[in-house]
Amino acid sequence: MRRKSARLLAVLTAGTMLIAACSSDDDNTDSTTAATTGETTAATTEETTAATTEETTSETMVETTEPAAAGWAVNTDDCIDPAAAEEIIEGTIKIGSVMPLTGDSSADEAFAPVKDGWLAYMDYANEQGLLGDITIEASVEDDQYSKDLTPGAVSKGIDGGVQVFSGIIGSPNNLAVRDTLNEECIPQLNNLTGSPEWGKVADFPWTTGQLVPYGTESKVYAKQIAELYPDGAKVALFYVNSEFGQVYADAFKEMAAEYGLEIVDEQTLEATDTAPPTSQITSIADKAPDVIMAVPLGIGCVTFLGALAEKKAQNTGWTPATFITNTCASSLILSAAGAAADGIYTSNNLIDITDPANAALPNVVTYVDYMASIGKSDIASTATAGWATAENTVAIIKQAMESPEGLSRASIINAARNFSYTPALGRPGVELKSMGEEDPFLAESLQVLQYDAEAKTFTNIGDLITEFET
Amino acid sequence: MRSLFTIKSGGAASWTIRVVVAAVLAAVMLWVPTSGSDSLIEVCTTAFTLMAAALSLNLLLGYAGQISLGHSAFFGIGTYTTAVMVTRWGWSPFLTLPVAFLVAFVVGVLVSLPALRIKGVYLALVTLALGMVFPQFIKWKKLSWLTGGAKGINDTGFKFTKDNPTYEIFGWNPWGNLRGQNVKPFYFWVGAIIVLVVYLICRGVVKSRVGRSLVAIRDNSTAAAVMGVNLAVTKGVVFGLSAAMCALPGSLSAIRTGTVTADTQLLTVAGSITFLVIMVVGGAGSLWGPIIGAAVYQLIIELTGDWTEPDAIPALFRPFFGWSQTAPGGGIFAIALILLMFVAPLGLVGLWRQHSVRLCKVVPKPAGTTTISVMAPAPAAVDDTHTA
Repeated sequence: MRRKSARLLAVLTAGTMLIAACSSDDDNTDSTTAATTGETTAATTEETTAATTEETTSETMVETTEPAAAGWAVNTDDCIDPAAAEEIIEGTIKIGSVMPLTGDSSADEAFAPVKDGWLAYMDYANEQGLLGDITIEASVEDDQYSKDLTPGAVSKGIDGGVQVFSGIIGSPNNLAVRDTLNEECIPQLNNLTGSPEWGKVADFPWTTGQLVPYGTESKVYAKQIAELYPDGAKVALFYVNSEFGQVYADAFKEMAAEYGLEIVDEQTLEATDTAPPTSQITSIADKAPDVIMAVPLGIGCVTFLGALAEKKAQNTGWTPATFITNTCASSLILSAAGAAADGIYTSNNLIDITDPANAALPNVVTYVDYMASIGKSDIASTATAGWATAENTVAIIKQAMESPEGLSRASIINAARNFSYTPALGRPGVELKSMGEEDPFLAESLQVLQYDAEAKTFTNIGDLITEFET
Repeated sequence: MRSLFTIKSGGAASWTIRVVVAAVLAAVMLWVPTSGSDSLIEVCTTAFTLMAAALSLNLLLGYAGQISLGHSAFFGIGTYTTAVMVTRWGWSPFLTLPVAFLVAFVVGVLVSLPALRIKGVYLALVTLALGMVFPQFIKWKKLSWLTGGAKGINDTGFKFTKDNPTYEIFGWNPWGNLRGQNVKPFYFWVGAIIVLVVYLICRGVVKSRVGRSLVAIRDNSTAAAVMGVNLAVTKGVVFGLSAAMCALPGSLSAIRTGTVTADTQLLTVAGSITFLVIMVVGGAGSLWGPIIGAAVYQLIIELTGDWTEPDAIPALFRPFFGWSQTAPGGGIFAIALILLMFVAPLGLVGLWRQHSVRLCKVVPKPAGTTTISVMAPAPAAVDDTHTA
């Protein structure tokens, strides 16, 4: 009897796994949108809003790099093999990444477009000859979004000769390989997370991040709320109960007093919850805050906005300003929330390629056409995160090639830490900059936006905020 | 059933086979960390983690018949005990292993209390609740001073520097130089030792009077009680022991990756399900079952990891998996599990037991001297060489 129970459990489990595995076949827009989660969504949305400068003329998308300034330089004495770190790379450069391709179905669905975008840009760079005589050999390993499997995936890449890692997804996943890559002196570039951990240049010089640090984004919202409510405001925090949400919430709480904001309620949502957070919104409504600062992820963006709209309909006099992190700032995600998303505030530093006003911009045309040419039009709007990450990586390598020391692992990390670059899909004025220990983060400028649910577009609120760029 | 060979259990041929198998295993175990690629070493270490966890579950479910879907919590207790002791109190990661074992044992005994009154699906639900609550408990704000809350804890492993001494045996260094990629052989050995310890504990229990009590409880608890088995103590001890053993690979996870968060896959219910599936595929109620199950699971995941594009899938499998946009390893394993339930409900080890007699028949020792080998339908006499 007990053995039968065990067997029954096992078969049920197998069925569940099978359904999970098969579910990734469904690639319609809605499901992709709803499933887009976590840090990748942040990356995606950062790629998808606003307008490119007219002077972004580059057909090849990396012409705006500037020569490396003489500044911070890595010390290779601590490397296991200093000579290998400074060895000149010729002919082919192997670039690897680690992303979730299997495992939890929502994760692999959300991240599959990132991988496609990342690989697409690497192919594009080869076709366009962006690195001259150097050919890029790109590969992506799978870690199932489990940090226990990331070291194995990175080892596989290193065994295969990978000289640079780029765009590894997930803070714990990147942390799990940071020691190894720093000791091996292999650049770990453009991590697809906004963790403050990527700012520890002295301890981990070979590791850099791609996204706007979560703390910086929180400051941008606090500043904007203070402008909307100069006499101070009551704020309710709503965030996903994970490392990602906690970092955001802690950063916001730290600076709330500085901007005259009072935190009156704090509610959380589990990343795996798909039900509307009705009880949390009820609790928030009871406190009647002026502002809700929300940090949801993926499907949580939609369920949060739906539950909030319902509660606002019940409490007709209550109309809080709603700020939502740019993890939800994709027009695809917000359009899934429908009218409930109307008027919400968010931020981004890159353009929305789905906005008709941006359709004719040269770099948008280049991107959209290329994705169409490889049969990936259906995921173009969610693949931009991977595309832009790869673009920055190639730009760093190009800068390293042009440096006096020539292309090597050491010159690549030197370039990444002395970097100045205008991303092809960036908003006017957005520049990615880093300067050794003085400025370890590439992206720190953001534009506050307001969403128009009817037009499905974002409107600029004020100017691009660059004051947090160090 | 006729066999090609017939050998006597405990005889010269039997011992020869054992020695040869042990020698091959030893050779492989030495070759991997010293000559294998870094990725192979890492894969093996991951497999060790799963082996130890599945072995611990096997003692509880396979032998004692107590269903648990909460072993991810015990795994997590190991992870967090190590993380907290290393980062908050500066303990050496190695010293945290016995502490994690003890903490999980106590929690396991406490969790066993409901098992004294309920069984089957009801017990499964209670343990499932444990598995679901554990990550929430870790993220509880009032505990965040200790557990780091949702942000987790970093720097939970060894802090090796370039000044680390290297330990050689007559010029031979099987554990690497403890830096970069070369730290992997060290973790390989830690993982292997944990599997060995867990295996020996399981073997010791299974082949003892306690083991026979467990099987008796599993098959008919009333009869077991009538025969003098103390159900409460036996269930409590085996629950605690199983939990304690599961904490060891959890500690290894914290040591190896140097970072812990409550949302890590193996700390959630998904981890419990993974351990369960591995155990069932390998063979519940068999000491080698979870080991083989974990190896096969890891092998399938590795072999199919690149099957993310139709062109990367071997032609034979393309019609079946070409539609998938992601690597179909999990799906393949699930299909294999379903098929196994029909053709070999006792898992791969059960399948081997059923068919190995065609090749080699082992004449058992006289009654009263044979160890537990009653899990299989026993189409023919089978000795320890095949069962444990």
